Amino acid sequence: MEFEELYKIKTPDEVHQAGTSKQTGFPSPATHYLESTIDLNSILTSNRDATFFIRISGNGWKAYNILNQDVLIIDRAAVAKPGKLALVVKAGSFKIERLTAASAKKDELTVWGVVTYIIHSV
Amino acid sequence: MIALVDCNSFYASCEQVFRPDLWGKPVVVLSNNDGCVIAANKEAKALTDIPMFEPVFKIKKLLLENQVIFFSSNYTLYGEMSQRVMNTLKLFSPQVEIYSIDESFIDLANMKFIDLNTHGHQIKNTVLRHTGLPVGVGIAPTKVLAKLANSMSKKITGYDHVCVLDTAEKCIKALQKAELKDVWGIGKQHRKRLNNQGIFSAYEFAYDVSLAWVRKNMTVVGERIWRELRGESCLTLAMLPKAKKAIGTAKSFGKKLTDLGMIEEACAYYIAEVSEVLRNQNSCAQYIQVFLQTNYHSDRDAQYSKSVTVTLSTATNDTYILTREAKKALQTIYKPGYRYKKVGVNLSGLIPQEYVQTNIFEQEITKDRRQLMRTVDKLNQKYGKSTVCSALVGNRISEWELVKNDRSPRYTTQWTELLKIDSEYL
Repeated sequence: MEFEELYKIKTPDEVHQAGTSKQTGFPSPATHYLESTIDLNSILTSNRDATFFIRISGNGWKAYNILNQDVLIIDRAAVAKPGKLALVVKAGSFKIERLTAASAKKDELTVWGVVTYIIHSV
Repeated sequence: MIALVDCNSFYASCEQVFRPDLWGKPVVVLSNNDGCVIAANKEAKALTDIPMFEPVFKIKKLLLENQVIFFSSNYTLYGEMSQRVMNTLKLFSPQVEIYSIDESFIDLANMKFIDLNTHGHQIKNTVLRHTGLPVGVGIAPTKVLAKLANSMSKKITGYDHVCVLDTAEKCIKALQKAELKDVWGIGKQHRKRLNNQGIFSAYEFAYDVSLAWVRKNMTVVGERIWRELRGESCLTLAMLPKAKKAIGTAKSFGKKLTDLGMIEEACAYYIAEVSEVLRNQNSCAQYIQVFLQTNYHSDRDAQYSKSVTVTLSTATNDTYILTREAKKALQTIYKPGYRYKKVGVNLSGLIPQEYVQTNIFEQEITKDRRQLMRTVDKLNQKYGKSTVCSALVGNRISEWELVKNDRSPRYTTQWTELLKIDSEYL
């Protein structure tokens, strides 16, 4: 078996990773410092199965820094603590509200999810 | 212990998550071509006896009179929401068997020191909080009993959608309450035969019928159900999804078609759809069936329907070979002069790609050809369905495709269809 190995022509690996040196040349000094590139998806959506994106129209929530056409990241798994900005349901329609200690006691209010980021296109 | 978690009126619930204005209102979902009702929430079921699988045109008046809200089916949304539910369930046990789009079995064998009732409520509450979807949880020593527990969790209000059968007494009580039709896997025929023997409840089946009788009359399948009802686990969790044995599609046209050319285009479009599914699961089809039919609900039209099955010389999943074969098959069954309602294709005899026997008279599908298909699939996944397709598909899709008027936005998969909230709405 080992003899056969000698006749095999090795084809080069198809994937050439940047930052690593192949065959010749001085090895990249960054080799031991490589980290993966920043991935916004993993940073902004910590709980993917509970995260939803919604789009806002109009400037009615300017006070919360939310402008027309902004996209909000909503985390349903996040704890709805007082002080958090939240997507709530009131009388069958969606609203954005700053939660207070009192809002937890309101029966007519259902917290749909916590607003974690505002994506604003410039 | 095994838990069965299933979503309550799943399709309707998916729609309601994004429509708080419909919370507590009757909602139904229509089939792929808006032909019939395939799902109804509990409000819709309570309101009126909506016949499932009835053509919509026959019950439209009933729906409108009762202010039932209806949606065209949005499988993109339901599939994505289903994944969220299944992933959330994995927080509770690494062993999850996805049984269907809205049902999963969870192995709780390693959870010895927890209170199962509390755990069941935790599962229910977490799924609801993370995804917005309500679920029912049944926990029992076997799959068949878990299924029974699950159906009881919904029927008996006191359970609040969680039912745990963790002792022999509880199992027996549940069996006494359950009718045969509540038992998973006992079909109409067997039920009739059992009724003739004086067996009506699940308890009577499990404890009054002998094993010998079950074996003789209901085969090994019945025996497993019998044993599982008695608390002996026979059905293990299938962790890997089973590869499909046949894949097909058939949808009604937006208008009746008479022209062969247009029908061929629709047929080629369906072939592209199903062959992509085939490649995704790395299998090849040995047979291809094509069928064509007129509208059998119409009294005015002359009726015709015909189907043909072709054996492929070599099993394949190549869109272009399949398109060519389907076109040939279609030409053999097409008769001019009829107003056609539907064309359908069905790929069957599916075998793993690596087991395909090649024919000495034909060239093996080359590596290049596979690479081509992979590239086509990648492009279509990235830039949208049929960005790259066979020329036979043509560009007249809008002329034959049925437009689903009442489909909700694909809230979770399309950046352009996100849930829109008006900040100035008072």
